[in-house]
Amino acid sequence: MVEALAVASGKGGVGKTTSTLALGMALAADHDVTVVDADTGMANLCFHTGLADADTTLQDLLLADSDAAVEDAVYDRFGLSLVPCGTSLAAFREADPTRLRAVVAELAADTDVLLLDSAAALGSQSAVLPLVLADRTVVVLQPTIPSLSDGLKVQEYARSYGTETAGVLFNRVQDDEAIDRVAEQAEQYFGGPTLATIPESDAARAARRAGEPLLAYAPDSAAAAAYRRAADRLDLQDRDEDAVADRFRSAVIPEPP
Amino acid sequence: MNGPGATDLEIPRGRLIRSRVGVASALDAAFSRELTGYARIEPDSLLADGEPGVVTFAEGVPRAAYCERGTGDGERRGDSHEPERPIGGDSRGVDALAALAGPGPCSVELYELPADALAEVHDAPEFSVPPGAPAEELADDPALAERTRDRAPADAHDGEASALESFLEDEERIAAIQEEARAEAEQRAAEWGLDDQLE
Repeated sequence: MVEALAVASGKGGVGKTTSTLALGMALAADHDVTVVDADTGMANLCFHTGLADADTTLQDLLLADSDAAVEDAVYDRFGLSLVPCGTSLAAFREADPTRLRAVVAELAADTDVLLLDSAAALGSQSAVLPLVLADRTVVVLQPTIPSLSDGLKVQEYARSYGTETAGVLFNRVQDDEAIDRVAEQAEQYFGGPTLATIPESDAARAARRAGEPLLAYAPDSAAAAAYRRAADRLDLQDRDEDAVADRFRSAVIPEPP
Repeated sequence: MNGPGATDLEIPRGRLIRSRVGVASALDAAFSRELTGYARIEPDSLLADGEPGVVTFAEGVPRAAYCERGTGDGERRGDSHEPERPIGGDSRGVDALAALAGPGPCSVELYELPADALAEVHDAPEFSVPPGAPAEELADDPALAERTRDRAPADAHDGEASALESFLEDEERIAAIQEEARAEAEQRAAEWGLDDQLE
């Protein structure tokens, strides 16, 4: 079984990487989970996981003349298989984003759940590619109009490639009373249910500073508990892993101009 | 305040002190100079139908909002005592913020006024907005929202309904955002050579 989920937001600052790792760790209780930093232009998963000095990253795998093997960029940490992305601007410019599909295909063959931490923007082929490759998306939102607008936009981009919404996470929630009404209203516009509402948390910031995922740094926090509820509500779909890997490989994506 | 219409909001023109594109910088400027007056906001996005609105300030803190554009279906869930407003009418308070928010740039002018010129508007609960809401919903600037809330008086707006709820009630507007996003996605897919991946 494998399902590839793109974790997307449409705008920065909503806690997308924190959410991806938290969801990943919560799902890892029952599944083999691989998390890929597919936000190649603004990579930051490495800073959340103490992998800032990793020797080989996704960036190396995306170079046309790379001789790195996919397994060289996979790091077992916090019960997850992590594929960080380097932050070199030069390497980003030289990277061939279309190689992501081969990397994802190889990773998909050997895991239950593949989480693609996706770009916050939608302005380039490399930013949209995770939405194209994933089976479904998890949309991370903050309860504000700009975030909802951008979340709706991401959903439409994903849908235009046949990628439906698995669920929505409301993150950094400050007003507990209003959020239930907002979440209920929002459900009519999103293809999946509200998986959880995550309270604004000092623990998330502290975890980031410590270079650890929230569920490792503060497993007993209210935010961590909310992410575990989100993972429980996420209705993972059984897919044939060979078929998924084949789909990634056969995705016809031309060379960038 | 006897029913809908722009004439309800009687604000003298005031003295133009700044004209610039962008809500974020205008709200920041109003806050920094502790403006008492108002911002006239004109969305450039087609989605907002180009209808202008105003956000008023007391010492740099947003107090009230009004938009000449209605919020779609003309009624607000949970406010059954409030008379139904006609489609295409105006919008007030958090509803006005919802009408002004969303994608696309805006042109903003800041005007200064003596405090007593705004007393009537600032005393009318229907126009009232939470102090941090304009920064959060119009400018996507949570840090400015926080600074604004810190400066706001203790008796600032404490209404329950939010601009976000008003936004989510406007099905027509959300459908327009979705349609625009779908068209943009398809156009860009062609530019990026991803059009054969479209469904």
